[in-house]
Amino acid sequence: MFDKVLIANRGEIALRIVRACRELGVGSVAVYSDADATAPHAREADEAVHIGPSPSRESYLRADRLIDAARRTGAEAIHPGYGFLSERENFAREVVEAGLVFIGPPASAIAAVGSKTAARALAGTANVPVVPGTTEPLRSVHEASEAAQRLGYPVLLKASAGGGGKGMRVVRAAVELAGALEAAKREAMASFGDDAVYVEKYIAGPRHVEIQVLGDAHGTMLSLGERECSIQRRHQKMIEEAPSVAVSPELRRRMGETAVRMAKAAGYVNAGTCEFLLDANGEFYFLEMNTRLQVEHPVTELVTGLDLVQWQIRIAAGEKLPQQSAIAEPRGWAIECRITSEDAGNDFLPSTGVISFLRVPGGPGVRWDGGVGAGSEIGLHYDPLLGKLIAWGDTRDAAIARMRRALLELTIVGVETSRDFHLRVMDDAEFQRGAIDIQWLERRLPSLTAGGGMPEGEVAVAIAAALLAESERAGRLAAPPRGGTATTGGDGAWREAGLRDGLRSL
Amino acid sequence: MIYVVDVNGHRYTVELRDGAAIVDGESHRASLQTVSGTPVRIVTVGDAVHRMVLRERASRGRYRLWLDGHRYEAEALDSRARAIRDMQASTGRQAGPAPLVAPMPGLIVQLRVKAGDTIAAGDGLVVMEAMKMENELRAVAAGRVRAVHVSAGTIVEKGALLVELE
Repeated sequence: MFDKVLIANRGEIALRIVRACRELGVGSVAVYSDADATAPHAREADEAVHIGPSPSRESYLRADRLIDAARRTGAEAIHPGYGFLSERENFAREVVEAGLVFIGPPASAIAAVGSKTAARALAGTANVPVVPGTTEPLRSVHEASEAAQRLGYPVLLKASAGGGGKGMRVVRAAVELAGALEAAKREAMASFGDDAVYVEKYIAGPRHVEIQVLGDAHGTMLSLGERECSIQRRHQKMIEEAPSVAVSPELRRRMGETAVRMAKAAGYVNAGTCEFLLDANGEFYFLEMNTRLQVEHPVTELVTGLDLVQWQIRIAAGEKLPQQSAIAEPRGWAIECRITSEDAGNDFLPSTGVISFLRVPGGPGVRWDGGVGAGSEIGLHYDPLLGKLIAWGDTRDAAIARMRRALLELTIVGVETSRDFHLRVMDDAEFQRGAIDIQWLERRLPSLTAGGGMPEGEVAVAIAAALLAESERAGRLAAPPRGGTATTGGDGAWREAGLRDGLRSL
Repeated sequence: MIYVVDVNGHRYTVELRDGAAIVDGESHRASLQTVSGTPVRIVTVGDAVHRMVLRERASRGRYRLWLDGHRYEAEALDSRARAIRDMQASTGRQAGPAPLVAPMPGLIVQLRVKAGDTIAAGDGLVVMEAMKMENELRAVAAGRVRAVHVSAGTIVEKGALLVELE
């Protein structure tokens, strides 16, 4: 096992990796930009190295600085997390050439499936079904138009180097094509530095179901079952769960075998994910392979009992995985909500500010993988993920009820967050039935984000607002000395003291 | 003191008297207390306990808040102030459509309109990039573009005037 691992990332995933290192007895080295000097990931690691200014391209995307930091601190391996350099073939190669271990797949495997076009070509040879479309990047509007005509509208434009919905556009008619292509290329260039875009047939109403694979360097490749990530907005996953209501044990086995076949064809080692579209008839189509740890890995961890991040490190250190026969069917149900600094009530516009208060939920079956704390400044340099709230229950209904309870406990003050939105989804009858597909959220968004509040809460709000106005009137709101009270009764001080005692853990 | 409180568009009359809140004629024991060291306030109504966080005080008596995890907008004015504001609202001049301002700092990627264009509610006006995502800013009401104050490639601060409408 390694003595020390450098974590080439930030935010919740960097903190997640620090935790895995500590549990394995491995030293951790964090890296940080100017903006992250006091960020949780930098203060929780054993060592922390400053790698540059706040913009990612001058810090978290600087392979040279990351490798220097590893050398300087004596780290033997680099964990890239997700995003940033995690899926860059060159980075994986440079790490190895520097005499370090890359905690992830070999550069050759990233090359084999890293671009969607390469992955589709490989899928063809590995007998893995794909959605019909072009395998070469589009060179012109003319070429796009010909391909779209051949496939039939609607079609989907996708960035070759993409992920997370950036550079992706649905085109419903020929007249929209040129504008959509331009926008997709622009977003692809801004996000990935590569404007290659391809086109495929748009399949209506499918679910997004992905298979987690985990392979060691000794020839074992495991399928750890599926995650359903159909709750997406603009192709960004927002809620994920494992298992999926749409996957039977038989389908799980077939999809698992297909994903393992794909991973083996790529010469894959370590954790990876094969994404599929699953249509209403149980037909599935390979979309792409993510050659890294996924944001939503915790739901798989909770239903398999495996620690994927620890296994990533153990595999990179040469350890052997158990055999597939040792992997049981998923136990219970896990759901993850991505808590982002986006205002769901205002078209998910990014919200910036300083987190002045954070209350993390607890209790049975609840996990918080966060990357922020009170005092964290949420700016525009990085993605808006504040943390992931994950709930486990013995059934899907129990997991939903637990998530709902945990969302009510979660309190973040200082920036707008997506919490209220998640609460509404948990309360939604269609979601509760599992009647979802990848268009569900776009379809239901107006009703899930409209207005605010619950009618039964209005009387309490009316009273609260009157009491606020009253205390403002008395001039007490402006500067409450500490734990001030605005009760209209005579027993306020007693009640307040009692409440303060009872709520000390808040 | 009697307050007229609008909550999410519904009107309640709340009289505060001797530790009680009388809402539309029904009396409840009520209190509001801060929790030391936190922005959380505890609202009690009878024996019920509600957790409240004030998100924003927009103007006197006007609050955006969370109660038990849900968002509300409330405006509490004493009955005299309420009457004056209602009168102003009914006789006041009809304001034109609000100008489009940047809801966040970011980069202007594209302008979808120019001065003189007629627009419908929901039309995309400006595309902004922030947090690596493009966000389309749309018109909330129909109107005409009076002036465009930015160009593509400009970085703007939150609140910057982008498009004036009439």
